[in-house]
Formats: sequence, structure tokens, C-alpha cells
Amino acid sequence: MGSPQDSSLDELGRRVSAARAAVEARGETFYQGASRVHLAAFPPKERWDDWVELSSRAWPAREERHYMLVPTTCFNCESACGLLAYVDRDTGQVRKFEGNPEHPGSRGRNCAKGPATINQVTDPDRILYPMKRSGPRGGGGWERISWDEALDALAARIRAALTEGRHNEVMVHLGRPGEDGYTERVLASWGVDGHNSHTNVCSSGGRTGFQFWMGIDRPSPDHAHAKVIYLISAHLESGHYFNPHAQRITQARQNGAKVIVLDTRLSNTATHADYWLSPQPGSEAAINLAIANHLIQARAYDREFVRRWWNWAEYLTECHPGVPVTFEAFEGILAGLYAEYTFEFAAAEAGLDAGVLAEVAGVVAGAGHRFSCHSWRSAAAGNLGGWQVSRTLFLVAALLGAVATEGGTFPNAWNKFVPRPIHVPPHPGVWQELSWPPEYPLAQNEMSYLLPHFLADGRGRLDTYFIRVYNPVWTNPDGLSWMEALCDQDKVGCFVALTPTWSESAWFADYVLPMGHSSERHDTHSYEQYDGQWVAFRQPVLRAARSRLGAPVSDTREVNPGEVWEENEFWIELSWRIDPDGSLGIRRYHESRERPGEKLSVDEYYGWMFSHSVPGLRERAAAEGLAPLEWMRRYGAFEISRGQGAVHEQEVPEAELAEVSVSPLGRVYSAAPPAASPNIVPTGAPSPDETGRRAAGVMIDGVVRRGFPTPSGRLEFWSSTLAAWGWPEHALPGYIRSHVHPSQLAEGHVVLLSTFRLPTQIHTRSANAKWLDELAHTNPVWIHPGDAARFGVGRTGDLVRVETEIGHFVAKAWITEGIRPGVVACSHHMGRWRLDGAPRGAGAMMATVGLSRGDEGWRMERRAPAGPYSSADPDSQRIWWTDTGVHQNLTFAVHPDPISGMHCWHQAVRVRPAAAGDRDGDIAVDTGRARQVYRDWLALARPAGQVSPDGTRRPGWLMRPLKPAAAAFALPAADRDPS
Amino acid sequence: MTAVPATAGRAELFRALGAVAGDPADARTACAALGLPVPGQAEHTEVFVLNCPPYAAVYLGAEGRLGGEAADRAAGFWRAIGVAPPAEPDHLTALLSLYARLGEAAAGALAPPTAGALTRARQALFWEHLWPWLPGYLDAVDDLGTPALGPWARLARRAMAAERAHHPGGRLPLALRAAPALGTEPAGMGALLEVLTTPVRSGFVLTRRALAAAAAEVGAGHRIGERRFTLRALLEQAPVPTLGWLSGEVSRWSARQSRGPAGDIVQAWWAARAARTGQFLAAEQATR
Repeated sequence: MGSPQDSSLDELGRRVSAARAAVEARGETFYQGASRVHLAAFPPKERWDDWVELSSRAWPAREERHYMLVPTTCFNCESACGLLAYVDRDTGQVRKFEGNPEHPGSRGRNCAKGPATINQVTDPDRILYPMKRSGPRGGGGWERISWDEALDALAARIRAALTEGRHNEVMVHLGRPGEDGYTERVLASWGVDGHNSHTNVCSSGGRTGFQFWMGIDRPSPDHAHAKVIYLISAHLESGHYFNPHAQRITQARQNGAKVIVLDTRLSNTATHADYWLSPQPGSEAAINLAIANHLIQARAYDREFVRRWWNWAEYLTECHPGVPVTFEAFEGILAGLYAEYTFEFAAAEAGLDAGVLAEVAGVVAGAGHRFSCHSWRSAAAGNLGGWQVSRTLFLVAALLGAVATEGGTFPNAWNKFVPRPIHVPPHPGVWQELSWPPEYPLAQNEMSYLLPHFLADGRGRLDTYFIRVYNPVWTNPDGLSWMEALCDQDKVGCFVALTPTWSESAWFADYVLPMGHSSERHDTHSYEQYDGQWVAFRQPVLRAARSRLGAPVSDTREVNPGEVWEENEFWIELSWRIDPDGSLGIRRYHESRERPGEKLSVDEYYGWMFSHSVPGLRERAAAEGLAPLEWMRRYGAFEISRGQGAVHEQEVPEAELAEVSVSPLGRVYSAAPPAASPNIVPTGAPSPDETGRRAAGVMIDGVVRRGFPTPSGRLEFWSSTLAAWGWPEHALPGYIRSHVHPSQLAEGHVVLLSTFRLPTQIHTRSANAKWLDELAHTNPVWIHPGDAARFGVGRTGDLVRVETEIGHFVAKAWITEGIRPGVVACSHHMGRWRLDGAPRGAGAMMATVGLSRGDEGWRMERRAPAGPYSSADPDSQRIWWTDTGVHQNLTFAVHPDPISGMHCWHQAVRVRPAAAGDRDGDIAVDTGRARQVYRDWLALARPAGQVSPDGTRRPGWLMRPLKPAAAAFALPAADRDPS
Repeated sequence: MTAVPATAGRAELFRALGAVAGDPADARTACAALGLPVPGQAEHTEVFVLNCPPYAAVYLGAEGRLGGEAADRAAGFWRAIGVAPPAEPDHLTALLSLYARLGEAAAGALAPPTAGALTRARQALFWEHLWPWLPGYLDAVDDLGTPALGPWARLARRAMAAERAHHPGGRLPLALRAAPALGTEPAGMGALLEVLTTPVRSGFVLTRRALAAAAAEVGAGHRIGERRFTLRALLEQAPVPTLGWLSGEVSRWSARQSRGPAGDIVQAWWAARAARTGQFLAAEQATR
């Protein structure tokens, strides 16, 4: 019992709390001073127009610097953290980037990559002007051209392709998009199915497992409120979501949450874990199933959740026709389904202790609904059948009922908001088989990394091929096959690189067109990072600053360095030149509504979007006397909602139900249209019933609820899609032994992990950031001391030769107990190179190499390491390192998973001391052998022509970027299996 | 298990009280929310810049200055609980914000062991880094008699005393255990000045305002400068009256500290130290 004095103090405290809440509800800052109150340092937004700091360089003199703080969004990784650009009011230049405290996802915090944006902006080696190749492709001759010249040439080619019916000869290949669908809509406006992405060398394995469960391909773990956090891979440390997820994991840990990490390598995340499990690569699904089996056998699962939301009735009906369709009967079968996955079995597969697994299972069982989990790349991206890693992981969450609960795991679409834009072009009427080949009808994303092989097979050609902030020669496996394809003008007629910087791929382009970094371009972006929805705005900050000062800019090139442009304006301009008179029907999707017949401006594009498609923003902006676009230009991000909760439990309103039919298994179809929503976030699209009524919900205990966007409307424990499309043996969550399972390894083989990141780099995109380069610039091969002794490798730093199935690479050894015996590891990001005579590109990270082709294939030899050089930046003279690692991906053959389409990155390799004459970073590759490996893996596929149950190329309900019109789904007669 | 005394409202109270000592704009906001008179910029400067800098190191450090071992000790506490210390880890605003934050975290912790650990951390913060200096510090602010920050100091003093009732206390805080013992007699004027301007050695807080008052009272010229300079000038001009004034001052401080919570070893320590200084000054006065 508190004293009267306590009561009066508490009352006073409540008064302060109320005053603070009232001020913050108005969007203002209660404690405006610098850091001490908030224990962080954020300039209050009321002072963003004129923020004063003392110059550190002028010390001890007190020299004031006046800044305008302008928000934008980081463009390095995908988590879209908020940045604040400090625009010097005297010089009009960006001085630095810090975190944007108004961003709901990152909350003012950034990893090293955000502030390092200033390095990218001021990089002396960046590309500032449009250039056209002069001389042979890859020969190194360039001439500066005008944007008009480039646009006219490209528009003429594309217009010719479209008018001649060669729609499939136009392709745009994206790296990490950093935006939500803009480029897809450009291609749709052209009627082209030409969107290609890097996702099948990235996350499509992880996505596949989630999609088959819930019709949505990404999880959204509510880490901040979890009791148990279960991560497969070094997600906190090295995944995209380093910062927004990491800060919430840290928050949960402060509240006592337990963190379980499955990672063969001792990652930074693993070092923070309560349980670090270092399994044999590929055994992760077996561990998940052992935990699931424990939950089942101990009856420690949420029976009511399973009964209501799993499609167990469909499973019984289809797979156990003689069994009564009752939940009790299902539970009886469930008890036997995973009984073989004992802790002892999983321990034997994983090389771990069964007792530890049992302890971990006990911790998981105690999480209840507060079990957040994540699996993205790592095991799901490394192994044949890796998609079952995320499918079995979600099985654990679904058993616990920890789906869309506080502290649980949500479908990402419920925590993401993609605002409807001013124009939405229709689905293209063609199907691009170079990206969506018939062999992979269930592929989660474009089979992008097989493109060189498909071109070599003669399956098609590309007239105009764009890469957009993407480096396929470097990023993909088998990069030298890419180089061969890109050098062949019969296969790729015109190769255009939209890029801020030189790269291994841009070197072979016909046009190199400079695009902006995060403070030099427009995009909108939203990501699942907690149970809420937000949208963030990337913008050219100098354009926004000029606008605040009353000098609006209508072309971003006016404020960007050199003639660097942004993509939005580029695509609008190109589309107009492809269809100058509107006769192709393209121009109207890039035309102003306010001024018909004129070009759409980015101000109108985003102004319309923020005014019409972001609920609450208009009112929020009006409260400050601003238009929605002005508000977004000022603050950079807007939280639309918080606490979405269990959307699947929502009852479907009567207005959305008309002429309802209910399938025997409870799928509810309605002739009424869905409620109009400005959120066009991608999800699965369940097929209508035979009369065309749309799937509107699912009947749960007599109530029509929203359910999940799966065919059944429920969580699909058993996938009718996998069963019907040729893979009935994998229709349930299960364990597929990897291509690097010990039983598959030959004598002397060890497993090479190549999928992990260093926390301060993000593929080639960050390599022009000198601060990051100084922090991380090499990728030695991790070798356990026992293995090192076995291989005859004496010391850290000794050179080793790592032999893959198509060649070898030479790298330095790092002898460490941070890796499991029998496994070696080598990070990507590193081993950047440039050919002798090529532009410097990423100066601090690129070695100069010689590349030659002989009878035994390609050889890359290091001619000169990275080192100091003269440039406009004096720091380039201070480069103290020479070791920039090895480009191991060149020595990997393609490994397409026959179901998900994911490239299975793990390699079976031999490691031995380097041979005489080997130098660090040397590479040898036999692309002929690479062709054979491609054919071997292709043979694992089950083509649509053989397995399609309905004569289509792909299940219509599955997610797919830039989905074509329904008619394009029909399999060509030639592809159909006559049997 | 120790109960968590602070409600969310109480946490905000401490955050607001701390904010007053930070940025002047925050002081205005916080005082208004607390229902206190709002300090002007000049008053804020007079109190927190010129007379009573709100840093623990000034009151607990062996040198009576910013930084040093006392500030490092505060930074060590932040590190020990896994929080990166801010640039000024012993600033009153930061310490009370942390105190509020720990209270909120303990109240929101899901697992009892976590709540217990956070509560213990909060108790340690209070006992080792707040209670050892704040009562005297707040008395010193109150003594300045400014219109807005005097009421703030009294409210903060009351809140701290109420909070003290919820904390079990224990062994004498490290800063006080490590405080240099007062010798039988300081060797020379320099050493005497060091002792008298270092609270943890003398047991009382000697502000610039107090020295100005002393000058008026003893009829000596008030030479403007840092406190040691001013005090030296007074002692050189009018040693006996100045020593007499100082004796009276430490007696007042000792008596005030003795009226702290019954059995509170911290307050008793300060009272004893002031009394010891008083004895020394009396002896010194007798020799003149």
C-alpha cells in the first residue's frame, strides 16, 4: 500500500504522462532537447528547418553549421530504414546521414550502411554521365552521350520489338528492388512479361515454404513481444533486417525472451543466443520436425487453433479416404506422421546432442503464442529441398497457434502497405519462358540465374536487356556463363546498365546510364517489421530542400550530381518516347490526370498516391497545414496502423457476401466484390469457383471469416497444389535430404557454406562506401582446426585451393573453432574485380585481374591488389589494405531446386593447400562442365507439360511478380504431354 | 521478491524531474507539466550552469570536478546493465531517465526473473548513483532561492525521499566508501581550498552564490572567479570571519543532513563528514 505522499507523486506523474501523450498525439515532441531525456540523440522535428551543430573540424573555435534535415530511405539493403540527410544550408550539399526518428520501422536507428550513404554520394568513382560503348562489347571503349540520345535509341528498339510482336525480347532485371512494384507496372504498361529479379538466388526457398502454408510468402515475426525467438541463420547479424529486427530482438531480450539460433557458423547472432545449435548443413528441417514431434507427442500444441485453422479435413478427405473426417481422427494420424523424428534421429542427422535438442524443444513448447520465428536464406537457400526448412519452421509456429498473435509470427501482407498508384496497367498478355520456363511450374520467382543457359539452349533471345542496380556476372553462380552470354550480341542485342557505379557486369554493357543513390531518387517502400503498417518515402533530398526554400525542381537531374537521374522520371520519359503518340496504349499510364496529354510528374504521381491511397495521411498532414506529399517530403514515413492482429479471424461483412456458395470443406465464395482497399500488397490469389464467384472467406464453426489466401482458405498443412502438380510426396511439411547430406558427399568432400553476409556490407551495392570497405573487405575461408590439420593447412593466412564441381578458387584460410568440423565457409560480398584497363569502379574493393580462356576453360589471375590511388577524395590515398578476397560464386555451377526453383548454394568441395604459383583470388572455371551440371539438375524437374492438372503453366493462385493475364497461363500445345 | 514501486506515471515523473536539469526548453515543458513555475533561461543558467552543475561526479568525485573516476563509475553502471553509456553518463537528466526507463522495463517484463533483475538494477542505480548525492544537491539548489527551480528542487527532494522508502539500502555506496578521508588538518591553503570546494570531502556544497553571500556577510571584497579563487580571496582578506562563516555553513548542512530518514547511513555519512569539517574549521579559527 502506498503512502499518501506516494499517491500525490503518482498523480503528478500521471499528469506529466497525460501532457506528454497529448503533445505526442499531435505529432510533436514533448522533450525537445538533445539526447539526455530520450537516451538517444535526435533533433526534434520542429527544428529540422534550421538545425545548428558546431563544426567538429573547427574546434576549438565554435563555428556553427546550419542544416536543413530532409528525410529519405536507405537504399542499401531491403529493410528501408529511415535516414535524415543533413543538408548544409550554406552550401546546399548533403554533409551526412543519420537516422530518422520519425520512421516507425527503424525508429531513428541505423546500421553502418545507412550513414555510409554519404560515401556513395561522394564516391569519386561513381558514374555521373550517360555513356555508350565504342568498340567491341567489353573492350573498354566508352563515349559520353546525352540522355536524349540514349532514350531515343532505346525507345526505338523497344518500340520495334513491341510492334513486331517480340514482347519477350524486352527484359528488365532487378537487383534488390527497394521499391514496391513501380518497375513491374512500367513493364505491364508496355505489355511485357519482362520483369526479372534476383530472388531465386536469394530468398525464394524460404518464401516457398511460407507460401504453401499461408498463401503469403514472407513471415513477419513480432520479435519485440516474443517469449522465444527462433532464428534459422544469422538473421540478426547478416540478414537484410539487421536493424529493425535486431532492435526488436534486443528489446525482447531485455524483457527476458530466449533466443535460439540454428547456424552452422558462429555468427554474431549466435554469440547472442541462449541456445546456439550448429547443425550439419541441410539438417535444419529434421530439427524442426523433432521439435514439432515433441509438441505433438506431449500434446503441447494449441488444439483449438489447429482444429479451426489447419486444412486437416481436406488432408483426411484426400489422403485418408477411409478415415472419418473428424479432428480426433486427424490427431491420431498426426501422432504417427512425425513419430520417426525423434530427438535421437534429428541429433544423428544434425550432429548435435539429443539432450540439447530436447531442452530446446522444451523452451519452444513454453513459448505458447509468443513464438516468433524467421528463416530467410541460409539453410533455405543452401540446400536441395531447402524450402522445407521454412515449411517445417512454420509447422512449429502453427502447432503453437503462434500465428498473428502478439509475440508470434504474422503473414507479412498484414504488416505491409503498398499504396495503389495513380495508374494500374493491366496484366500483360504474354508469358516469358526465359524467366518462367515450363520445367519449374511451382518456382517461387523468376529462374533468373538460368538465363545464360536458356539463351545457350536457343530458347529465345533478348533484344533489349536492362539491368537495374544489379550485377549478374558477380552475383549469380556460374558468372562466367553470364559473361559469355552478355558478350554475345546474337543472344543479347542491346545491354543496358542502369547503375550508380561501375561493376563487373556494367563493363560489358552497351549503355551505362547513371542512377541515383538513396538521397537521389524517388520510391515508396513498406516492410513487415512489427505488427503494424507503414509506408516510407525515398526522395531526392536536395530537391525536397529546394522545395522547402521555395525553389521547386521538376527534374531530379537538376539537383543530382553530374547527370545522374532517377528511375521514375527515366521510365516515364522512356515510355513516352516508345509511344509518343499514344497509339500503342502505353503513354496513358504515364500521363498526367491533372493535365491530360502531358507527362506525369513524380510530384503528381506521389501526390496522388499519398492523397488517395494512404489512410489517415491526408488528415495527419492537414493537421499541420500541409498537403500529404509535403508531409511525406518533410517526415519521410507514415505509420498507417498498429496492431493489425489476427486478420484471418475477422468476420467477412455481409456487404461482401452475395450469392454465397460454400464448398464441402468450407471455402466460401461470393459474387459480391471485395471491399475496395488502397493497399495492393501482393498475396496469393485463390481461384474462383466454377461459376466465377471469388474466394471471399472460409467457414469456421459456422462463421465466415477472412482466412488465408490459400486454395482452402486455411493454413495448408497439406498442400493440394504440391500434390496436384507432381509432388505428392512433399505435400506435407517434411525433410528432404540435401544435395550436401553426408550420404551424398564423396570421399574427401566437405560442405562449403557461401550464403552468409558480413554485417557491414550488402553485396556489391555497398562496395563504394569507403567506411564500410575499411571495416570489411575480405572473405577468408573458415576452417575448423581439426580440418585444417587434416587438409595440411598450417596457419591462418595460408592460401588454400577450394575445388568445386566446375573449377576452383584460391583464398586465405582462417582457422577457427567458429565453424563446425567437416564444414568450411566463405562469405559473399567480396572478391570484386576489374579487368585490366577497366574503370576503377569500387576502388577500395576491386583487384585488377587478367581473364583468359584456354583448353581447360577460364582462368582469372590477380594482377594487382586494391591499394591507394589518386582521386578527388584524399581518403583513396589512405587505403591500407590489399586483400579484397575472392569471387567464389564464379566457381559454382547452377543448382535449381526442382520445386522452389531456388539456387541451392551449398557446395561439396575439396580443400587443399594452394598449389605452387597459386595466388590469392585466382579462379579457374570450366563453363563446359557448368553446362553439364545445369543439365543434371534440370533433369530433376517435373515440367508443367507432364504434371499440370489443368493445362496451365502454373497454379494460378500462386504469387508471381508481374502476373500475366489468365489466358497467358495456358500451356502451349507443344509443351503438353500427349499422355 | 521486491515489489516494483514505480508505476508508469511515477516513471514519467522522474523523467520530467530530470528533464528540468537538461535542456532549457525541456525544463519549461516539464515544469509546466509538473505544475511548477516555469524557469526562464537566465534562472536555468544561474542554477545549472553557474552554481549547481547537475553531474554526479562534481558531488561524488574526489576532485569535485566533472569527469574522472566518479563519472567512469556511472558509465560502468550503464555498461553493466548492457546499455551503452551516453556522452555524459552521470548527468542528472540521463540518470533519472535511466531510472524511469528501468522502472518501466521492470513493470513490463514478462518473466519474473527479468523483472527481478531490472528491479535490482534500478535499486542499484538509486543507491549507488542517485541517493548518495541528490539530497544534498537538491538542498543546494533550494538554497539558491530562485523562484522556479527552488520549488522544483523541493519536489524532487520529496520524490527522492518517497522513493528511498521503497529501496532496501544496504552497504554504504562505493563513492562514499572511496571518498578520501579528511586528514587531521589540510596542509596549507591550497589543500584547504580543495577540501572546501569538494563536496564529498567536506560534506557540504559550496556554491558561487553562497560565496557571494559570504563576502557580503564578512564585509570582504567579492572577487569574481572560480570558487577556489573567490574563497582564497575571502580567506586572505578576512580569514577569521570567513572561517566563522564557513563553520556556520557546515553546521547548518550537518544539521540538515542529520534530519534525513531515520537510520539512513548515507545521510548520516554526509552529516558526519560536514560535522568533521566543522570541527576542523573551528580548530583552524582558534589558531588565528
